[in-house]
Amino acid sequence: MIGLVVATHGKLGQELLASAEMIIGPVRNAAAVSIDHDNDLETIRANIEQAISRVNQDGQGVLIVTDMFGGTPANVSMTFLEPGQIDVLTGVNLPIVLKFFNSQESVKLSELAGILKAYGQQSIAQASDYLHRK
Amino acid sequence: MSIVLARIDSRLVHGQVLEAWVPHVKADCIVVANDEVAGVSFQRAVMEAAVPSSIKLVIGTLEEAVRILSSAELLKKRVLLLFSNSEDALELRQLGVIYDKLNLGNMHSSSGKDRYSCTIALDTEDIHNLQKIEDQGVSIVCQCVPADRERTWHKLIQTGAR
Repeated sequence: MIGLVVATHGKLGQELLASAEMIIGPVRNAAAVSIDHDNDLETIRANIEQAISRVNQDGQGVLIVTDMFGGTPANVSMTFLEPGQIDVLTGVNLPIVLKFFNSQESVKLSELAGILKAYGQQSIAQASDYLHRK
Repeated sequence: MSIVLARIDSRLVHGQVLEAWVPHVKADCIVVANDEVAGVSFQRAVMEAAVPSSIKLVIGTLEEAVRILSSAELLKKRVLLLFSNSEDALELRQLGVIYDKLNLGNMHSSSGKDRYSCTIALDTEDIHNLQKIEDQGVSIVCQCVPADRERTWHKLIQTGAR
């Protein structure tokens, strides 16, 4: 089963997992890493590394999702990239997290990252676009 | 057509239904039986957009829902049937839609209702409606998401309002 690490500025990751659990119930093989302003890069790296090994016990691979491309969580996460084993997705949103848990046992990591990237983008909607549809 | 889940959920189509129940019961069709939503085009459009294209969505008034549920179009479908309240669930049953089990998902609190759990609030009318449904041989259970333990609604009533 593919593991998930949510690495974010502050407690966003923790709360994303909590929100997901509110909707789909308890989730498996997931860890949140909170990056705070007093963390040095070594600590951040170590925390992410630890989270990866915690959610990858069966060796099926890990997806790291981060809040923002160009931010520290993403920058550090990207250094773990290992095609087929560890992939990184930036700009995480709740739909991505939910879709991950509905796919973590059925899709390979190499495909999953791409599916979730498209899915996360498609899940953004503007209300007024629906006004004149019939 | 088989009804794989009949559920009362005041939120109708929302996260718990799409992300948890649809994959859990392997539904490939959602039928929303609700007079109100059937008449509001904006709400319909938003609901239609929220449901993935692999899932057929039908939104209709109670009477339309009865017709659609017995149509050839849905013959091979695994249907997740949604009501927003107990009255609609009872009425559909009386109009001839047969479901054996009724899931109480979200029945949120409003004035005059007593809270029995964090997601279920009922008034005497609800209890009366549910009792009538049960009398027709339907087993009524409370289970908000699939990971929750399924409990018969009697357990809830016995425990009493909070």
